[in-house]
Amino acid sequence: MNTRKNQRNLTSTQRTRFVEAVLELKRSGRYEKYVRTHAQYFASDGENGLRVAHMAPTFFPWHRQFVLYFERDLQLIDPSVTVPYWDWTVDDKETSALWSADFMGGNGRDSDGQVMTGPFAYSGGRWPITFGVTDEKYLTRNIGRPDRPIKLPTKAELDGALALGTYDTAPWNSAPDTQGFRNRIEGWTVSETKGGYLHNRVHQWVGGHMIGAASPNDPVFWLHHAFIDLIWVRWQRLHPKSGYLPSEALAGDDPESGRVISADEPMPPWNVKPSEMFDHRPYYQYEE
Amino acid sequence: MSESDAGRNAGRKSARTAVTRRRVITSGVTSAAAVAGTVAALHPLLTAGQPAGPAGAVAVGGPAGSDGSGGDVEVQPALFDEVYRGRRIQGFTDPGEDGVAITVDGEALPVMRRVDGSWISTANHYQPYTTPLATARAAVDVIGRAKLSAAFAQLHHH
Repeated sequence: MNTRKNQRNLTSTQRTRFVEAVLELKRSGRYEKYVRTHAQYFASDGENGLRVAHMAPTFFPWHRQFVLYFERDLQLIDPSVTVPYWDWTVDDKETSALWSADFMGGNGRDSDGQVMTGPFAYSGGRWPITFGVTDEKYLTRNIGRPDRPIKLPTKAELDGALALGTYDTAPWNSAPDTQGFRNRIEGWTVSETKGGYLHNRVHQWVGGHMIGAASPNDPVFWLHHAFIDLIWVRWQRLHPKSGYLPSEALAGDDPESGRVISADEPMPPWNVKPSEMFDHRPYYQYEE
Repeated sequence: MSESDAGRNAGRKSARTAVTRRRVITSGVTSAAAVAGTVAALHPLLTAGQPAGPAGAVAVGGPAGSDGSGGDVEVQPALFDEVYRGRRIQGFTDPGEDGVAITVDGEALPVMRRVDGSWISTANHYQPYTTPLATARAAVDVIGRAKLSAAFAQLHHH
């Protein structure tokens, strides 16, 4: 059984094997498709057409499948590897071992944001950015956004979102009045001074590539989204009678018809139904 | 929430009137004054033939009332055109669903519209901004001196 662990509990060997598998996926050229897919499926709710990865109820099941495919790609390289999760309510400092030179590497330097330490530093020659918002070839970070400092979400903030008993509500978008667990976790209810909320704020806190459309260029993307995935698991435990919404396809005259995917409609690009992703246990378990 | 309401109206193509556009521009000026630390870096570059806006903060669009709804057939003047932290940022009205096109040193910065009328860009995908100018400046804050990737813009703009 695949077990995803808190990154802080990994042994030194486990850290190294995860890093080496990611680097090998990069070397083979297969990493880039994850960067492209994430950018392609980031549709916004002020536009027309289907939304699937963000600003929509499929935020959780889409990213569950996305991380799972990535994990399976890593396991073709090293079957012992699983994606660890980063509980940013606990490991909330730049001094966390998460950012050490044998794992994710450290912050970007002041001049150009370039990450200078760890396996993903450009100078190591194994992590060239080939597909980014800019033509920069090196990974960038700007931890804590020092020009306008922000903090990672606290446990209390996360618990406040977990307490919401409704998965999502019409009109199933990112508007502040779209109440429910999904939109609260995604974090679109805007606070520019805080850097947004929860999921979005973690992207903002890391900075650099993590805040752009090519965010999977930073391998910490996977550790962040593994924790987002675990948060969904915890919400399901807390609210066993609450399920994914919308449970059925929206009526044809609903303004969101054709823009939002219900439980048993296929999610592009894989044509997997959200309902197939509700239970993580057939695929992996979490060690908490 | 007045900025947000104005933005929501601007998001509907049929409501993209001159009045709405001026509202958006006005909120851009307000936002520019509110963002600490950026004013010193602001070097307005007014396009020839355009009237200076209030306090010369940004170059504003054509004469008031010259463009009624649906009159977007003429070449649109820039919403803003300035040098910010060494990068030339320009914004234009755009007939597409985002309503605005932004460039940094002539390269397209893909933007998306949110349902509340704010924008996100490829450089800031998890942080919305209420005006095109704030969106452009924030992108420069993030990318620094790096050149926007044309290949990425092409993929991203569906």
